[in-house]
Parts: sequence; C-alpha cells; structure tokens
Amino acid sequence: MTQQVLVRHRSRTRASSAPAVRRVRARKGHAAAVLVAPYVLLLLVGGLIPTGYAVVKSLQNEAETGFGGLSSYQRVAGDFRFVETFANVALVLCVWMPLLLTAAVVLALLVDASPRRFGASMRFVYYLPGAFAGIANFMLWLFLLNPGQSPVDFLWHGFGYTSLNEVAQPGNLPFIIAAMLFFQGTGTWVVVLCGGLNGIPDELLEAAKMDGATAWGVVWSVKIPMIRPWLGYMTLLNLAYGFQLFLEPQVLGQVTHGLISPQWTPNQLSFTYAYQILDTPAAAAMSVILLLVTLGLGLLVVHRSRLFQDER
Amino acid sequence: MSRFRMAVALVTICLVAGGCKTAEGTGTAQDATDSGGRITVWVDPPRVPAVNAFQKAFPDIPVEVNTINGNVGSTELQQKFVLFNQAEKGWPDAIFFPSNDDIAWASSSKINYARDLSPDLGDILAGYPAGVIEQCKIEGQFRCLRNDAAPDVFWYDQVLLAEWGYEPPTTWEQYESLSLRIAAEHPGHITGFVGDAYAPDRYLWASGCPTNDTASEKQVRINLADERCVRVRQLLDRLLSAGVLSSTGIFSPDAAELGRRLVMSPGAVWWGNFLFRDTWKVPAGRITAAKPLRWTSDPTPMTSSEGGGLWGFSRHIKGVQLENTLTFARFVASDPRWQVDLSVGLPGYKPLQKPWLAKQREARYLADFEHAAEAFVYATTIVRPDRDYTRYNTGTVWTHTITPALTSGKSFTTAWRTFSDRLTREARSFGYTVES
Repeated sequence: MTQQVLVRHRSRTRASSAPAVRRVRARKGHAAAVLVAPYVLLLLVGGLIPTGYAVVKSLQNEAETGFGGLSSYQRVAGDFRFVETFANVALVLCVWMPLLLTAAVVLALLVDASPRRFGASMRFVYYLPGAFAGIANFMLWLFLLNPGQSPVDFLWHGFGYTSLNEVAQPGNLPFIIAAMLFFQGTGTWVVVLCGGLNGIPDELLEAAKMDGATAWGVVWSVKIPMIRPWLGYMTLLNLAYGFQLFLEPQVLGQVTHGLISPQWTPNQLSFTYAYQILDTPAAAAMSVILLLVTLGLGLLVVHRSRLFQDER
Repeated sequence: MSRFRMAVALVTICLVAGGCKTAEGTGTAQDATDSGGRITVWVDPPRVPAVNAFQKAFPDIPVEVNTINGNVGSTELQQKFVLFNQAEKGWPDAIFFPSNDDIAWASSSKINYARDLSPDLGDILAGYPAGVIEQCKIEGQFRCLRNDAAPDVFWYDQVLLAEWGYEPPTTWEQYESLSLRIAAEHPGHITGFVGDAYAPDRYLWASGCPTNDTASEKQVRINLADERCVRVRQLLDRLLSAGVLSSTGIFSPDAAELGRRLVMSPGAVWWGNFLFRDTWKVPAGRITAAKPLRWTSDPTPMTSSEGGGLWGFSRHIKGVQLENTLTFARFVASDPRWQVDLSVGLPGYKPLQKPWLAKQREARYLADFEHAAEAFVYATTIVRPDRDYTRYNTGTVWTHTITPALTSGKSFTTAWRTFSDRLTREARSFGYTVES
C-alpha cells in the first residue's frame, strides 16, 4: 500500500516539472555540502595541507635552500636508529594487538551474553580505564611501575626488580607500553564491539539455534563473522596509533633520567631530526615514510577484513 | 594537466620561499627589539631564588619568570627555540641552561640565540679563572657565563675511613685498590655512581678521554680507543665487577639510600651541599673533600667539571631591555646576594669564592673544612680544557646505553662497545665530521 502511494507520488513529481526536480536535487546537494563542509575543512587543515607540506619539505635539500630530490629520505633511512625504531614499534604491536583483539572480543561476547543490567554495568566498568586522559593514565602507570610505591610491588619483586630503572629497562619497554595501551584502550573497544553484536538480528541467532548450533557454534560461526568489519576497523585504528607512539617512551625516558633512548619510536626519531638535529627536511621525510607504512598496512587490513565490502 | 601544473607551481613557491631564509651573523641581531624595560627570564627550579633575589635588589626592573624543566639531558628546550626562530619572537632575555650542552645549539649558526658577552661584560669575564669560563669561549667569543664552578674533587667519609684505618687515595690507581679492598672487607658500601648523565664527565673527562673535543662547529674528535679512555674503562670495569660502584645515577630516587653508603667518590664541588647534605641527608661532620685524583702517568694533575650551570643572554634585544638584561647578567654572575647568600655551588666568579667559602665554614657541615676549601679552589684551576659542549649529548648517550646494560646485568665491556659505537654515530647524525 505504502509503496503504491510512493510510486504514485514519485510519478506525479516527475510529471509536474523538470526545474522542480532540479531544485530538490540542488537543495539536497546544498544540504550534503553543509554537512560535509566542516569535515572537509578539518581534513584540509589537519590532514591534507600538513601532508602536502611534509611531502614538499621532504624534497628540499638539507640547508632548505632548494630542491634536494630524495636526499632527505636517504639521510633518515641511513640513520643508525631507523630500523631500530620500527623494530621497537613492531615489538609493541606484536604484544599488544593480539592481546587487545582477543580480550576485546572475549569481553564483548561475555557482556553480550550476560543478563541485561549486569552486562551494562560490566560494560561501564571495562570502559572506565579508557576514560582517563592520556597523561593522567600515564601518571597512574608511573606509580604502578615504581616498586617503591606500586600496589603490584609483589610482581616487580618477583622479577627481582627493586627500582623504577630496573622495571623500565629498555628490554621491558615493549611489554610496559603494550600494557599501558591495553588497559587504556580495550574498554572502549569492548563498547564498540558490543554495539556490533547488538546489531546482529535476533532472527539470525534464532535460526542458528533452530539449526542445532551450540552456544559456541553461534559465537564462532555467526557472531564473530558478523562483527568482522568492526574487528577490521579496530585493527586499522590501533595499528595507526601504534606506529605513532610518542608520549609514553618520551615521558618514560624523562622520568628515568634518560634510561630510554630519546629515539625509541619512528615519531621520536622524526622529532629529533626536527628539533635537535634541526634537519627539517629529514624530519618531514620520516613523517612521510611513517604515513606510507601506516597507509600500506591500513590498506592491507581493509582488504583482508573486507571492511567496506558490505557497503552498498 | 592544469592541476598538475598548479601542484608544480605550489612546490616551486614553497621551495623558493624556504630558500629565502639565511643564517644571521653573530652579535646583536638585525631585528633586535626593545620592550622598554621588562625582561623575561627562564630558570630551572633551583635557580628561582636567584631571580627572587634580583627582583628584591632591583625592584624597578620588571621581570617575568618562567620556570623550565631542570632535568639534565632533557631535550624539549631546543624545540622552543626552533619555534621562536621561525616566529621571530618569543626568546627569553636570559636563560639558565638546564644542560650545559645546551650552549652548543644556543650558539650554533642555526639557532644563534646566545649573544657574545665580551663587548658588554668584559670586566665580569675577567673575574673567572680560565678553566671555569673556557667552555663558554666558542669560536673566539664568550657566549655564556658560569653560574658556579663545578670542578670535580675527591669526596670521602672521613669518619668511616679513619674508623676502618684507610688513608684517602690521591691517585686513580689508589682509588681503585682501596675500592677493591672496601668491596672485600666492607661489602654493601660503594665508592661511586656510574648511572647518570654526569658520569662520563666524572670519569672520562677527568681522564682526558676524547669524547667531545671540537675543532669547529662541524668537526669533533672522538676516540674511545685512546689510551686515556682505555685506562678509565678498565678501572670502571674492575670496580663494577667487584660490585663497589652503583649502576644507579646520582639523581635517581634510589640513590638516596645508596648515598648514605657511599664511602668515597670523585664528584663536583656542589655534591657537598646538594647531594650529601640536602639529598642524601648525610649527618654533618663526616664528609670532606680532597684535591682531585690524579693519574700517576699524567705529567700534571688534571680534573673535569660536572654541570656548573651556564647562563645565556639573548642577542635579539637592544636599548633598555638589553641594559636591564645585562644588569641581571651581572647580578647572577657576580652579586653576593645570590652567589654567596643563596647559591649551593662554589661561585665561578673568583672574587666571590672567598666570601662563599667563609659562609660554608660557618655552616659547619663538612669535616675538615680548610682542607676541603683548599681542594675546591685548587680544582678550579686544573680543569682539562680540551673538552667542549657539543650538540650531541654524551651524557644522554651514556644513560641509554651503559645504564640499562648494567641494570640488566650485561658486562661493562659490551656496554662500552655500544656506547662508543652510538656516540660516534650520534655525532655524525648531528652533522659532525668525526675524527679519531
């Protein structure tokens, strides 16, 4: 019935006049433009223009007096810390990403399967650590890591550590940073995945049960495949975040009086080039390299998780 | 196609615009400004009393104080100056550099912030012993003022050594053998710290090991295979193996407890008040200082210097603002109301050393004060001159190579290799040509 009305309405509109259609379309176009404009503006100011500037800057010569070709890329790639910084980040990601993915999925499934009120309160509890702003979270970690003040001092004593410098030694850094990121971010992703799980139609789950699927079967064959794009999205954002690590090793280096190299991550190396070595083109080149790496990995994730496949 | 052309045009404009910047010459900058009187001063927390004393002494000069991070080896300061240079404003008129190496970038041709003080403050500069002001002389110009002379002397616990029946050592060789005896006879006590950014100054500089010997802004000599490096490396290796040196740094919170078990150590003059008295709370009447240790093979006794902060002043100012800044410079370098009454370190400015020592004598903290005072003044005259502050920070390379290696139980020899390797590479990454 409704459809018939709609068809009749449409045909009437089409019949009425061509300029009216154009007017409607134009109005729709304006509305879209108004909605998109703030985003485009921010994208330009915070994304495209700086990226363009970095690309241009990276092509200057060291003295910034003219075109230098790819020499600045050569300088950073030849830096003795270049490979090391990427290896450090890779280590953090190797520890952090599997933990994050597993924990977020398991917790989200548990919340989803829990009775309503209990599930909601647990979701809130998981989210809490993520509500701390970055630096507040970091300060909390300093207390946790210092065997002299930590409530988990038994853990540090178990490893034979008695001071912050022993806990925060460079070999332990990938684990420490992975733990910081894990506790800070997992709760937020539990909330996101719960949203995904809520979106699975009840009929589908009922159908699976009627077909004889066990609870485990429903999780494995229905729920997880259905939230696959969310998992892809989560991997994508966190990979990008991981490659941009800066704050944690930088501040940890300061509180341990220089125990950690000031060039522990690619971003810190770029920072060193910009503000200590004063080689801005090399700093820009490092940023561009970082962008290419994250972009490449991002595309891979998008492709593998079929993130945008369902969009019509 | 037109888009491509536009992009090319844009790139060209940017490249050309970037190329318009040129390095300025030294002296007062062309764009120098005058605030009409107000001066801006940046200091680390221990230097805040200096500014307060200045404001009390010169109430007519309006001063804006900005407290900065005082961590040795911290790198965030330079970033601000890069931005000031880009904005062409914002520089402080006077600054206490938290790290002595800061003077290297502050006087480099790229940042070029610190003014040449010879024309305006010749009389003050003449008041410094040559060894104390040497590191401020950069390519023939005096670009900074020493706050306090910080030569290394030899500190020891007089009561403990007397009780144990040991003579305080006078040479590095005796220091080693006594340390090894202490390790064997009184385990748990220590005779030095090697985990802080000043440790390479304390040990390597004192031995004459070339880590920071610059010939120009772009040339440096680093040779850790030099005999003078090898001898100090072997000494540290043996003492670390015996467990009598701590791999912690002097500023580490753990050092407070260890400091009370420190029997003896080379260390700067400021260790007396700042570390032994205020930080480690060692009771009065125990600690004293002797003349710096000497290597038996060296023809003359020489020592190093640890910190002893540097003041820099802006070359972007003129008129009343400059006058007031110079008044401030004179005050912090040579006024007893700061240097004698409040400063914890021995004044770099020689005429104030006697009054400062007199005040310390009254404080009755050190044991055998006359002996220590004589050692302090003598040490200021024998600081090795062939060690410069550079754009790479040797102390930072030390703290993130040697310290973590020792903390995680690796051998000192391995750690030294990494340190040596990274130091050279770090210098190169700053554009230095490294000779050995």
